[in-house]
Amino acid sequence: MIATIRSEWRKLRFRPAFFVSAGLVTAITALVYFLSWYQALHPSTGDRGAVNILTLFPDQFVNQVMGAGAVGGAIAIVLGAIYAGSEFSWSTLKTMFTQRPGRLTVWAGRVVVFSLWMGIMAVALFVAGAALSTVVALFQGHAITWPAGIDIAKGFGVIWLIFVVEGAIGLGLGVLIRQSAAALGAGLIYLLAVEIIAVRFIDSINSGAYQWVGNLFVGQNATALTQSFTSPAFGRTIAPAISAEHAVLVLAAYGVGLMIVAAGLLRLRDVT
Amino acid sequence: MRLTTTRPATPSVIVMENTSTTIVETHGLTKRYGSGVLAVDSVDMSVRRGEVYGFLGPNGAGKTTTLRMLVGLIRPTSGAATVAGHAPGHPSGLARIGSLIESPGFYPYLSGRENLRVVADLARVNQKRVDEVLDIVELSTRAGRKFGTYSTGMKQRLGVAAALLKDPDLLILDEPSNGLDPQGMAEMRKLIKDIGQGDRTVLLSSHLLGEVEQICDRVGVISNGKLVTQSTVQELLGEEGVLVRAQPIEQAQEVLTRIYGAAAISRQDGAIHLKTKPENSVEINRQLVGAGIGVSELRLFERSLEEVFFQLTGEKQGS
Repeated sequence: MIATIRSEWRKLRFRPAFFVSAGLVTAITALVYFLSWYQALHPSTGDRGAVNILTLFPDQFVNQVMGAGAVGGAIAIVLGAIYAGSEFSWSTLKTMFTQRPGRLTVWAGRVVVFSLWMGIMAVALFVAGAALSTVVALFQGHAITWPAGIDIAKGFGVIWLIFVVEGAIGLGLGVLIRQSAAALGAGLIYLLAVEIIAVRFIDSINSGAYQWVGNLFVGQNATALTQSFTSPAFGRTIAPAISAEHAVLVLAAYGVGLMIVAAGLLRLRDVT
Repeated sequence: MRLTTTRPATPSVIVMENTSTTIVETHGLTKRYGSGVLAVDSVDMSVRRGEVYGFLGPNGAGKTTTLRMLVGLIRPTSGAATVAGHAPGHPSGLARIGSLIESPGFYPYLSGRENLRVVADLARVNQKRVDEVLDIVELSTRAGRKFGTYSTGMKQRLGVAAALLKDPDLLILDEPSNGLDPQGMAEMRKLIKDIGQGDRTVLLSSHLLGEVEQICDRVGVISNGKLVTQSTVQELLGEEGVLVRAQPIEQAQEVLTRIYGAAAISRQDGAIHLKTKPENSVEINRQLVGAGIGVSELRLFERSLEEVFFQLTGEKQGS
């Protein structure tokens, strides 16, 4: 297993798609911070789009970066699909499966390294958030105070979990479809269209009688989990329909389930 | 089984060394794909330790499918196989097998050397071995270039290098000359010959008859998924003999029958095929000329592997 992890890390650390993704997450965070800063300093007349400058200071940076969960999740799907699918298109799966470790060991090593990379992406997001909030505070002459360590850890855990679960969708699709392009297309369509339509439809049936079904979808739970990180500075008062505990359990179940299904497919199917 | 002690200074370290004569053995190995296509049909094949075994067959005959089954990439529909003492795909067996199945599969964004390091990690091989195998395949100077920029020949060489990383007992190479130019093919042949020296077993699949004839000790011929024959190259080619063209041919046959017996003689395409040693040519010539027969051609007769192959597979030469 250690050998497999070392091997996976060796090839992933040079993979351009993963560097680009970490850079993209950082760039998007910077863009959101700067646009929000501009909006806070140039408020519009209505309530729409109003940004409280207090949300951009370091003590709120964990709450602020939670907003990147959705974008980061989409990037994670793309990465998962590329990571799993390219092994088929490059015929590297046969190279891996004809070395010493068994198929499940190889897969387990891949999952560990992928999860580790999702952690790196989450670190990039948090470092960017912390740095940008510091820049805003310095320019605004605001005192630099940080959230409690436990809040940072919780926030990091949530973002990592969302990235891993969304990434697992990409990984699963990559293994199922056995190529990258179709897998990432299918993953993004699911995340950005199919799930939203399905949840709206389910919620509309029988005056919301089946809303509990809608509450089992990945996107719903990921959103609820990120929304559980808020503060009065953000002006939100409505509690999410799904509790944080429920969301963590559902997301963890998706992550584990998808990894197991993908492992089963890899174990049982011929490598042609 | 032979008992071999290792590191004499260390007491009671005894390794059971498997000295079985076959390293690959299949019984009724069959693969039928979901589409109903019978790719491999009851193949009984045996590869002996230390030999270079040629697995011959036309394109689509079932060579690659058979090899994929041997390394555990695909599961047989029925039948059994033992490879390096284990079921195909078993980690202990894979530890002793190096393989290059069809095209080499590497990461295009990594250099040749970095690709080998990835494989070495996976195979639990010391990283020092990477430079050794790069030397063997003569890729050391270009190992720093990205795999995606490699020529077909370099890719094939890197594939062979990866297969050699484990210093395997059994090397399975599936059409390693595919896509190579004549010089590349010659270099690959030389490389395989070198690799096949000593105790290592090489199982080489190819549809290039010349390649197999030059390199292999034994061959198996597969056609339409069935193994139609398996023997040494010499057995397959049959006994060598002498071809005689003479006038009058009937009289020449009578003379030769008297000397060598009817069983040694056959007629084909207006010539006499005589099963005898080529060094008897001088005597044959003397006998025929002494009998007043004009000899127009007298030469060594040997069937080429190509002729045998086309005969066995039922394919037409030049088609």
